[in-house]
This record gives sequence, C-alpha cells and structure tokens, in this order.
Amino acid sequence: MSDVLDPATETRADTDDLERRRAQEKRLREVWATPGGWRYWTSVNNTDIGVWYASAAFLFMLFAGVLALLVRTQLAVPDNDFLSADLFNQAFTLHGTVMMFLFAVPIFESFAIFVLPGMLGTRELPFPRLSAFGFWSFAIGGVFVCGSILFNAAPSAGWFMYPPLATNKEQIGIGADIWLLGLSFIEVASLAAAVELIVGIMKFRAPGMRVNMMPLFAWYLLIVAGMILFAFPPLIAGDLLFELQRLFDWPFFDPARGGDPLLWQHLFWIFGHPEVYIVFLPAIALMAMIVPTFAQRPIVGYSWIVLAAVGTGFLSFGLWVHHMFTTGLPAISLAFFSAASEAVAIPTGVQIFVFIATLLAGRVIFSVPMLFGAGGLVIFVIGGLTGVMVAIAPFDWQAHDTYFIVAHLHYVLIGGMLFPIVAGLYYYFPLISGKLLSDRLGKIAFWLMFTGFNIGFFPMHLTGLRGMPRRVFTYPPDMGFDWLNLVSTIGAFVFASGILVIVVDVVWPRKKQPKAPINPWDAGTLEWLTAPDENWGMRSIPEIRTRYPLWQEKTLRREVDEGRWYLPDAEEGHREALMTSVLDGEAQEVFRVPGVSVLPILCAVFLGGAFIAMTFEAWWTTLVCSVIFFGFLMAWIWIGTAQIPEKEKKDIGRGVSLPLYVSGQPSAGWWAMFITMVGDGTAFASLMFGYFFYWTIHADFTAGSEAPGAFWPLTSLALFLAAWALMAVSKRVNTSGRTTLFRLLLMASLALTVAASLAGLAGPWFGGMDPTMHIYPAIVWVIVAWTIAHAAVGVVMQAFCLVASYAGRLTARYDKDIHNVVLYWHFLMVTAAVTFAVIGLFPRMV
Amino acid sequence: MGFRILPKEIETLWTLFTGPAIWAVHFLFCYVWAAIYCAKRDQLQFGMVFVRGGIGVATVIALVLVAAGGYLAWRQWGFGVNNPPHNKPTEDSRTLFQGFSTLLLSALSFVAVVFTALPTLFIQACWP
Amino acid sequence: MLARHAGKITGIAAALSPVGGLTGCAGMQSALDPAGHEAQELYLLFLGMCAGGAVVFISVVSLLIYAVHHQRRVHSDRVVARLILWGTVTTVAVLTVLLTFSLALWPGLRPVQAEGQPAIEITVTGHQFWWDVRYQTPDGQAVVVAANEVRLPVGERVFLTLESADMIHSFWIPALAGKMDMVPGRSTHLSLLATRPGVFRGPCAEYCGTSHALMAFSAVAMEPAAFTAWLAARRMPSPTAQAAGLQAFLSNGCGGCHTISGTEARGKIGPDLSHVGSRETIGAGILPNTVQSIARFIKEPDTIKPGVRMPSFRMLPDEEIAGIAQYLKGLQ
Repeated sequence: MSDVLDPATETRADTDDLERRRAQEKRLREVWATPGGWRYWTSVNNTDIGVWYASAAFLFMLFAGVLALLVRTQLAVPDNDFLSADLFNQAFTLHGTVMMFLFAVPIFESFAIFVLPGMLGTRELPFPRLSAFGFWSFAIGGVFVCGSILFNAAPSAGWFMYPPLATNKEQIGIGADIWLLGLSFIEVASLAAAVELIVGIMKFRAPGMRVNMMPLFAWYLLIVAGMILFAFPPLIAGDLLFELQRLFDWPFFDPARGGDPLLWQHLFWIFGHPEVYIVFLPAIALMAMIVPTFAQRPIVGYSWIVLAAVGTGFLSFGLWVHHMFTTGLPAISLAFFSAASEAVAIPTGVQIFVFIATLLAGRVIFSVPMLFGAGGLVIFVIGGLTGVMVAIAPFDWQAHDTYFIVAHLHYVLIGGMLFPIVAGLYYYFPLISGKLLSDRLGKIAFWLMFTGFNIGFFPMHLTGLRGMPRRVFTYPPDMGFDWLNLVSTIGAFVFASGILVIVVDVVWPRKKQPKAPINPWDAGTLEWLTAPDENWGMRSIPEIRTRYPLWQEKTLRREVDEGRWYLPDAEEGHREALMTSVLDGEAQEVFRVPGVSVLPILCAVFLGGAFIAMTFEAWWTTLVCSVIFFGFLMAWIWIGTAQIPEKEKKDIGRGVSLPLYVSGQPSAGWWAMFITMVGDGTAFASLMFGYFFYWTIHADFTAGSEAPGAFWPLTSLALFLAAWALMAVSKRVNTSGRTTLFRLLLMASLALTVAASLAGLAGPWFGGMDPTMHIYPAIVWVIVAWTIAHAAVGVVMQAFCLVASYAGRLTARYDKDIHNVVLYWHFLMVTAAVTFAVIGLFPRMV
Repeated sequence: MGFRILPKEIETLWTLFTGPAIWAVHFLFCYVWAAIYCAKRDQLQFGMVFVRGGIGVATVIALVLVAAGGYLAWRQWGFGVNNPPHNKPTEDSRTLFQGFSTLLLSALSFVAVVFTALPTLFIQACWP
Repeated sequence: MLARHAGKITGIAAALSPVGGLTGCAGMQSALDPAGHEAQELYLLFLGMCAGGAVVFISVVSLLIYAVHHQRRVHSDRVVARLILWGTVTTVAVLTVLLTFSLALWPGLRPVQAEGQPAIEITVTGHQFWWDVRYQTPDGQAVVVAANEVRLPVGERVFLTLESADMIHSFWIPALAGKMDMVPGRSTHLSLLATRPGVFRGPCAEYCGTSHALMAFSAVAMEPAAFTAWLAARRMPSPTAQAAGLQAFLSNGCGGCHTISGTEARGKIGPDLSHVGSRETIGAGILPNTVQSIARFIKEPDTIKPGVRMPSFRMLPDEEIAGIAQYLKGLQ
C-alpha cells in the first residue's frame, strides 16, 4: 500500500472492497444454502446432518433410558412381577443394543460431522452425501430396531446375541433377525462415517495444518475411524454367518453339524471390545478440547495424547477374549489377553495424567462443561480401576456376568462417555444455536446425575460379588442383595431426573435469550471461527501456523471474516474445499464438494427396504428394493463423482492457483476406495478366521469331503490373476492415450472375470457341497460367495469405466475412475488369491 | 553415527505405528501359536516347552525390533536435544513431533510385548 | 499360597475395608463369604486390589480437586510434564506387579487332575432351566444320577466336567469358586475344593433364555464320611411307600420325561427324580422342597417358570396332584 493516500480514494477503495465482499458473501450463501420446505431434508450440509444425527441419537438414548428404568423398577424388590420375564428380556436386550449401536457410536459420529470441518479449517467434509446417506440409514435402521418392542417382537437374547439361543428360531423370534439386519445396516453407515472421517482428517485440513498442529480431537477421531475400519467388519462377517444360519439353516454355530457357538463370541468381541474404545476415545477427545479452554492454556503433553490415542487403538484389539475368560479356553490363551488388558490401562492412565497436568499448569475456570468433564473423570477412574481388576482372569471368574460387571461397564461408559458428551453438549451448543445453555440447570443436572449415578451403580459392585448374575428378571429374597437393589433403583431414578433436566434445558425456547458472544468460552481452536447462522463454515480458509490459532493469532478472525484468506468466493457456483497433503497440509487441489441431493435419502430408503424385507423373508420385495437401490447408487456415482471441471486450475486468492482435478494417490476418491477396501479386507479376513477356526476345533474339519478339489479353485485363481493383470495394464494404456486398446483390455478383463467367477463356483458346485449338511461346505460356500460377489462388483466397475470411456467422461487426462477401479482390483486379486489358494490347497496340506 | 539403517528422510505418517504394529504381530503370533498347539496337541509331536520356547524367541525378536524402531525414533527426535511441545509451523518441528511420539509409542510397545510374554513364564500347560 | 495367612489377613481386612465389613450379612450365594479354596484366594486378591485401587483413586481425585480448585499458583510446564512421566512410570510398575502376582497365583487355583489320580468326578449338564448331575465314584464302579443339587466332600478336590444340552449356561457356586461356562458341543472342566461344610447356592451365570433367572441349584459341602454315606445311599432305589402316588405319576405320563430309580419311570428329558424328596430345593433352586410347592410346580410350572418345557397339569384333580407330590416328597 502506498504511504500517501488520498482520503477520497481510500474511502472508495473501502467501499469497493465492502461491495466486493458483500457480493462474495452473497454467492457463498447461495451456494451453501440449505433448501427450504420439504427439501430441507435433502440437505447434506455438515451442520444440518450433524444436528439431525445428534438429535436422533439422543432420542434413542432417552428411549433406551426408559427401558433401563423399567428394568430397574422390576428389580427394585425380590420376586417382583412388574414386567413379565419375556418383556424384561426384551427390555434389557434393547437397552444394551440401543445404547451401544444407536447412541454411543452415532453420537460421536454426529459430533464429528458437526464440529470437525470447523476444527480442521475446511468448509465441509469431503463426502457430505455419504454423511447424509449414513444418517438416513441410521435413522431408518434405528426406528426399525426400536419399534420392534412395541409389537412385542424385540430381540431378547441379550445385546451380544449368543448362539445357540439367538439362532434358535423357536425361542427367539423375528427379534433376532431385526437385530442382525437392522444393525448390519447401521454398521454399514458407521463404516461410511469412518471413510468420511479418515479422508477428511488426512486430506482436508486447512493449509499449513501439519500433523503436529492438528487439534487433538482430530487425532483421536483419526484413530477411532481407523479402529472402526478393523472392528466393525468382523461383526458384519459374523452377522452374515448368523443370518445365513437363521434364514437358510447353514450350521455355523450348530455343534451337531460341526459348528461352534464360540466362533460367534470371537467375532462379536473382536468387534465388541474395540467398540468400547471407539465410544470412549471420542469422548476423551472432547475432553482434550474442553480442558485447555478452561485451563486457559495449550494442552501439556500433546505427543503423550497422541501416544495414548494410538496405543489404545492398537491394544484394544488384543482384549477381546477377556469377555470369554469363563468359556474354558486354554489358560495360556486367557493369560495373553489378561496381560494385554492390563497393558491398555497404561495409555488410559496417560490421558488422565495429561488432563491433570494441563489443569495444574493453567488457571482453571470452572463452569458446566468442566463440571461434567471432571465429574466424568472421577467416575471413569473407578470404572478403570475395576477394569484392571476384572482383567485379572481368575478374579473375572467370580465377577464375570454378574452385577459387578454391570457396575464396571456403566462406570466406564457413563464416566468415560456420557459425562464428556454432556460436557461437549454444553460446550458446543453455542455453535448450533448461537446461544448458551443454562448454567444453573446444568449444575442441577450435574449433581442429580453424579449423585444418582453413584447411588445407583456403586452398590452393584457388591450386589454382583454377593452372587447376583446379570440379566435376571427376578431374584429370590434374602440372598444379601435385597436392599442393594432397592438403593440402585432409587439411584437410577435420581440419575434419570438429571437427564430430564438436560432435556428441559435443551428444548427450552430461547427466543428472548440474548445471543452468546461468538466464542463464548474464549477457546483457541478454529471451530470457533464458524458462525452458527452461516452455512459456509469458514468465510475464507486461513493458513494455520499454531495449534491454538485464535489465542496465538489475534487478527486471524478479522482476516478470515473479511475473506482475506483462501477461497473467499464461489464464482463458479460450486461448493468448494481445499484438499491438502497428509503430513504437512500443503494445498493440492480445489475439491468440488457435492451439494444438496435427494439421492442419499433414496439410496438409504431402498437399501433399508431391502434389509427390512429380508427380515420378513419377503424375497421379492428385497430384490426389487435392491435393484432400485443399485440404480440410484449408479446415478449417484455417475452424476456426483469425478466430474470433469470446466477449467484446469483455479485461483484461490493470495496469488495461489490450484488444479481442479487430481487423480490417483493424492485424490480423495482414491483414499476413500483404499480405506473402504481395508475394511472390506478385514471382513474377509474374519471369514478366513472362521475357516481356520473350524480347522482347529476338529480333527478333520472337512468331515471326509474331497470337495472342492484343487482343479477348479486353481483355475479360477489363474483367471483372476490374468484379469487383474489386464486391469493394471489398462490403466497405463489409458494414461498413454491409446483409447481403443484401453477399451479392448477392459472388455477382455471383464470376460476373464466372469470366467474366473464361474470357475470359482464350479469347485463347490461340482463337488456337490451342501451347505446345510456341515460347516465345511458351509464355510467354503460362504467364502467363495464372498469373493464372487466382489468379482461381480468388479465387473460393474469395469462396465462403468467402459461406459464412462465411451461417454467421454473417462479420458487420458481425466482418469480418476480407472485409478480407483484398479485399486479395487488390487484388493480383489488378493481376496481371490487367498480364497482359492486356501480352499483348493489347504485341505490337502493337513 | 556410523551407518544408517534407514534413510533419515522417511516421510510418512506410518512410521508412527511401527512399535504398536510389532506388538500386534507378536501378540497374534503368541495367541495363534498357543491356541493351535492346545487344540491340536494330541496330533503333535512336541510338548508345551517347545511352544513356550517359540514364544520366547518371538519375544526377543519383537523386543529387538521395537528397540530398533525406538532408536530410529530417538534419532528422528534429535536424541532429545529439543524438548516438546514441537508446535512450530515448520517441517522440522513436525519431524521432531513424529520422532518423539514414535519414541513414546515404542516404549509403550516394549512394555506391552513384555506383558504379553509374561504368562509363558508362569503357565506351563494349556489348562491350569 | 495365600490361604496360609488367610485367617489373619481376612481379619485385618474385614476390620479395615468397608467391603470386608459388609460381608458378614452376605447370603449363601456370596463370593465374599468364601467356603472354598479358590473363592478364598480370589476374595483375598479382591481385597488387596480394592486397597490398592482405593489408594490410586484417592490420589488421582485429590490431585484433580487440587488442580481445579485450591490452586494458589500455576505450575510450570516442566513440573507438570514430570507428573505425566512419573505418573505413567508408576502405572506401569503397579500393573507389572499386579499382573505378575496374578499369574503366579493362577496355576494353583484349578490344578488339573493327574493321570490315574482317583477322585470324585461329577458331570453336570445344563438344560433349560435345570441341571443334570452325575457322580462317578473314585472306584469307577457306579454312576449316581441326580439333578439340581451338587454335593461334595469338604477337603477333597472334586473334578467336574461341564456340558450343555441346549444353550450356553454357566456353572457357578460363588462361595466355592469362580464360574465356568457350559457350551454345547464342548466339554469344559472345573475343580472344586470346599474348605468348610455348608449349603450354598449356585445360579446359572450365562443368560440362557426366558427363565434364566430361575435356574439355580444347591451346593452342599459335607464332611467326607457323611458324603460317602450319602453317595452309597443314593445308589439304592428310593423306598416307594406311596404306591398310589406312584400310580398317578406313571399313569399321567410323568415317566416319559423323568426317571425314578427302581420304577418304570425312565424318561430322560426332565430332571431325574430319584430321591427328590431329600433335595434342598425343587424347580432348580427356586422353591423350598415341601409337598405344597411340589404340588404347585406340577400344577402350573409355566407360571412359576416361564418358558419351561414341562407341561402344566392344571386339568388334574387337586387330590391327584397332592398324591403325586406326597409320593415325590417321600422319595428320601
């Protein structure tokens, strides 16, 4: 700027500037607008989806809470007949199921979807339509599962659904199918969220936000999303086996035909234990944001938190057998898991020390979020200590499946998850509505919840050790736990009244209440730059130079709000975000974010329809819904992804220009494919685990069968390898611009894939393997079917690429599709190779 | 520093997971090895001593690997010359952060591997 | 290992620990009132862990309260970083000690039966919702079949094989030892060493269906001589004094499901009723063993125990039911 300024020109410059900014804001507002009327529900904006998601999850929690109160009322006195045995069993099953699957996991997804883009300094997560699809899947599946109790058809086999009880169609009716299919549907939504979060955190941070500057919430969520990727697929694989047994009588868990109920326990808990940390870590992540704010200083021990998050993430996969300490597995096996269960207490302890250290090194302001945070920590410490106790296998022989465990798990989950979530609710509420929740009501709620919780759950430790098993609908008097149960019931109601106070506080009309300041807690992280009444997130996207930018760069807010940073405009009328590099956050691409669309809802509705119809064994409806779903999915991919931009590069402000189309490894789609396939590979590995598990428990797990032989599997394997090789070559050919050869190669590969699939099916088919006879044919069929289904998806992808090539949508320059499809093929090749090598050769080797 | 096992400029996030990944492989090995032995011991020619020996060898290998990874991390951290909080907006600071975090994770993994191996010292049969 | 000092430690612990103080009034189903070797060791382990846990809890919470409230000065980063480091080191040390100690304790808790070592062996099979119990005497000569009651001699290790006929159940006598699941298709093993005589209660500890809550059994620890005499008596058929009751029992088809030794009743579906009159409870640990409750159970088992497989006999005249009940109670 020149140092001599004519006052008149300066004013004109200012006015021009203001007008330019107004125009930018108008365009941004239009582009990011949430539609009105019924179309409001087609919004995909992260703030809308986040709030819907959280509200739905809270409603499910209240529903499950009411079930818990019914359970506690029944148990208040011995020999009570308030609930029938069957209704009680439905109530506790649904309570556990809903709290875990419809509250604990989705609530963190909702917080993440809502708050993460702001925290990372991006406008939107990369796949907002996927978030919307996830939400609608969750809502449909959740209502379906919860609604079942109104028809007296809820699952009643306990939330871990152990066979052979849960596979018994006479004793456990359609409830089990509702559980399996409803939740499988929701698990798919969780996996979608995991993909979204990982790509978002790795690739959509503000420029300059290197991995050492990421908000700790993002670090935690990255680890948690990674855990989902490895934890949920085993359950999906287990669900698949389970539903095959229920629908078609394949004997995976039936000992009479070589099955084993323990396989389910393994698969369930390989999911189930990491699950505990999947819900716990995000809550602690909220604490890692709240504690520095109220200690008014940066966190002490940032690296230690990263250690704790990563360490917990890994160790949590070595704990699953501690839910099976009493199943009679070899002592040496139990001991490994006992040891790992002790080890996981180390990173958990580290987090507590980091929080205390940060508080010690700061000047603490004590308000409601802090109250819930600290109260939660106190409760959680008790849960952690009892956790260390029950991790000692011999002690668990006494404690297992008693009220001691009920107390332990509620101390862990309520202290480690619910209290921090409420803290997060009070903390982030101003970002939703621009207004603060009531301080007074918050404090009342806290003390009701804190005292109620301890009165309710602390006696249960004693109840359990005095011999009360969990999941009993009644108990005889004079066993030493009459008054303990009564106290627990009273405590539960006090606790529930605290929750009620929160509900009142949240739904209380706030029309007259003055707006809160834009950063009411004086926090230091970027999400507090976003204005609740604007949909665009950040007005412009700043370059990040510190961990707590709002504390350390005082002018940042003004610069951002005046649009002085990147992407201050939406000239071309597209929603846009910046894609950056993984380690150092260097800007790489202007990413066109998909906007409002009805397709996610339609996909969710018809996929949900297919799952629900399957529950009722309405096969035609299932088929019709699946076909419609497939059609909408294709439409979504065709019009929603890998669009060719109108120009090569775009100026994002401050003299920086970035490409609008990047394919291959740096691109978001490539990462999404990679991450999805890692999860998919885990599910496949779980099925293979089943195969070898059956091998270990039987002297001859083939039951004398020679099928599927070696010839057909190895033929199929060779054909798959050839198809894969052609795909790999075709990508290079496309890059070199030889379009015709590229298309021929694709067609050849497609034909080979079909042949490979037929050869794969030929082995078990000609071997006459009947999957209802014995687990050996059943597990071989399921693995082959899995691989062939993936081959079918591969064929669809090949056909898609062919069509896209003819349509001019896939060219030598614009080649995202073929990159991602070839990546899929790498995974498919590994799946096919393992499948056919194992089923063809392994039975011959042992 | 004589020779370098790995070039210093390995630029990836994944090095962070070295220690825990070694723990995971070691843990899985111990579990699978012992589980298969206990399930199939009637058909096998060797005794539990062999199983425990195998776990012992695996443990030594895992500990050496974790220690080596820890050393590399320590080096990446500049042998502790710089103290945390590595929060500068520079590549250097980011590298130091990665080094320090990896070092901490190596320490945790070391303890976790030792924990996993401990049972073999005390439990001498498949069933107690 | 622990048991040698058990008496002394229990005394001290009971005086010091709030949990110990509460054990006095625990019932017959309590793990905190041990009457078996394993339960005793685990009880002491629990008290030790409680004491350690209390120290940790108090330290952490005091530190937390100090950090948020009564803090006069802000501590430097260097000092608090040391807290993180040493806190972590302490955690590792404590966990190492605990893990090592528990691993050392482990092999002594459930010793395996040595090859050829004579011992009383009991096979318990879980059913919805009752327990089939078979005793194999050390001489291997006779098998005694009973149901819903496990008797064992004090001071002698008894080896159990646990099986299931339908769902997963879990066998648990809290006062004697930890639990062990009964998994269909598998056999699991447990050994019990009672240290004092008494009557205890064992609930099913794995959710197994509608009336899981109503599946329990009595465990009676007897002096060895009394146990031997009891077992010998069980090899003989019960005296059948109430011939009319037996007639009604047989003519109503009860024998299709139940066995009574020395009679034509040979059913295998329900619990063996030989000597049922001498058992502590009926209906798998849920009703006192009286003529009235037996009659009630025959009349309306589905009300008493939802989901039970036994059909109700409401259509029978009360006198007939009473006759059967009296006959059964007479099977001492």
